[in-house]
Amino acid sequence: MRFAKLAVQMLVDVPFKSLGTLLGVFVSAFLMLQELSSLEGLLTRVAAVPDTAEVDMWIASKATESIGATDSVPESRVGAAAGTPGVAWAAPVLIGMGRVTRPDGVRECVSVLGVQAPRYAGLPSNFAAGTTPDSLRGSSRILLNDNDRPSFGAAVPGDRLEINGRTAIVSGFFEGMDPHAPCFYFYANIDDARAMTDFPEGRVTFIALGLERGASEKEVKRRLAARIADVAIFSRKELHDAEVRYFLVRTPAGLFFGVAVAIAAIVGGVFVAVTLYSMVIDRMRDYGMLKAVGARNRDLLRLLLFQAWTFAVVGYASGLGCFLVMRQTVTALRMVVTPQILIVVAVVSITTCTLASYAAIRRVLSLDPASIFRG
Amino acid sequence: MRTAVLEAQGVSKVFGHGELAVHALHPADVSLYRGEVLVVMGPSGSGKTTLLSILGLVLAPTQGSVRVEGTLVRYASSDALARLRRDKVGFIFQQFNLLSGLTAIDNVALPLLLRGLGQKERRTRAGRALDLVAMADKLDAKPRHLSVGQQQRVAIARALVAEAGVLLCDEPTASLDSASGTVVLDTLKNLAKTEKRAVVVVTHDTRVLKIADRLVHVEDGRTREANRHAEGTTRAAQ
Repeated sequence: MRFAKLAVQMLVDVPFKSLGTLLGVFVSAFLMLQELSSLEGLLTRVAAVPDTAEVDMWIASKATESIGATDSVPESRVGAAAGTPGVAWAAPVLIGMGRVTRPDGVRECVSVLGVQAPRYAGLPSNFAAGTTPDSLRGSSRILLNDNDRPSFGAAVPGDRLEINGRTAIVSGFFEGMDPHAPCFYFYANIDDARAMTDFPEGRVTFIALGLERGASEKEVKRRLAARIADVAIFSRKELHDAEVRYFLVRTPAGLFFGVAVAIAAIVGGVFVAVTLYSMVIDRMRDYGMLKAVGARNRDLLRLLLFQAWTFAVVGYASGLGCFLVMRQTVTALRMVVTPQILIVVAVVSITTCTLASYAAIRRVLSLDPASIFRG
Repeated sequence: MRTAVLEAQGVSKVFGHGELAVHALHPADVSLYRGEVLVVMGPSGSGKTTLLSILGLVLAPTQGSVRVEGTLVRYASSDALARLRRDKVGFIFQQFNLLSGLTAIDNVALPLLLRGLGQKERRTRAGRALDLVAMADKLDAKPRHLSVGQQQRVAIARALVAEAGVLLCDEPTASLDSASGTVVLDTLKNLAKTEKRAVVVVTHDTRVLKIADRLVHVEDGRTREANRHAEGTTRAAQ
């Protein structure tokens, strides 16, 4: 780009305004990265149950919108599912709601997931040392999320908790599950879970399925639909997507993050537009001179676009650098950055700067070169 | 017979329409020849700048035509006009209009950058142009580190560098003290003679008369060629 050096020299010549413009892009990029990475961090956690269980397909009520927004299905459908060609096994999973009393007396909501021995389908696959799925053997045993131990007075196996007035015994801890949910997740035997949450007899929330090796997911789904009426059938990914969709659409989170990102882009864009325009106005004589000595409009367009893109690239790079440092430092925010986020924010930064330069470019292109002689 | 490097025939300019129309320049014929200094004088608002703008191809005349090296100028394409200015006309402004962030040599090389020449050639030719105005020792100085006289000489070098046949100077001495003004005028005269450029100087400054080969008076938009020797004598007597 033959005007690159000239473009940069003109920017360096007005350091404060250039820094001001850079600041606009920097803040905008930083905020967009932070918001989108926070959202991505949440999205990786909202579908914790289907993501961490070794289950290939899930059968649920047709009314199902997410794990937490569903109805129940007759338990008798478990047998029908298990007998479907391509299905290796089927097991009931129950999700009941209750209130657990913390050691400090505070009562909080809890989702009790009931799973059936001996397969315990639906359990997460990672456990703390000393815990196995068989830790649920025995009456009123529950597994807690290892992350929640501090909420229960650094709970250890053998501790007793009260769920809906019934005693539950802590028998172990699962790991690798960090659900973004308002309630604790406990796992229990399906019968204990039913009792603890007064879940109706003969009904279950999900039927977890394992497919035979080599079975076609699409084909099995078609067979299940033909065999079991009035249910919804989800692959692991479909249930994950349903969870994400529910979180984004049915909670304010999607709107909140969307608005935050849009505001960051718009405020950054307005900031850049104002400072770029101001820089151009300050330099009208220079642009008039350039036009008089032979600069074509396309030359000036390239010059100004290069300046706008310089701001976009440098502002984005510095925003990204600062964001990565913050992400390393403040791990509690649990932000997840993906290549898609980096690309989206880069594209938005470049687009914003391009659009923001529109007024400045228009002003320069409409400049009459004869104005240079008018004092 | 001499051939005009730039020739304006019957050029006039009217701004506005109807009752609000302002005749900034009545039909005028101006020819510029290589090796000659043409001085255009007149009071403020007389039409000097309009004439300069038409000669500099930055303003289309309402009537009349302009030929550059025999080729008729067409005003339909702003890009074509920009190319003509870039290649055929050098401008020297009252306020110099140097880019403050660029060194002297980078300022001088600007028209060559617009032409698409490579950096090495730009530097060679810009250095030569600065040498012509006795500024070879200030190649890497930024405008703020130069005196106003030196800045104007850098501006002259910028006008020279593209080897345009015409140099148009708008009040080139207005911002200069007497000594600097003399240096600049001597430089312009010298360039006209040695480099065979057609130099047009639009000015109020009677000091410029000493380098004039021809003098055009502009008043109320009307041009009149005057005897520059008589003018110089009259001014001197005053």
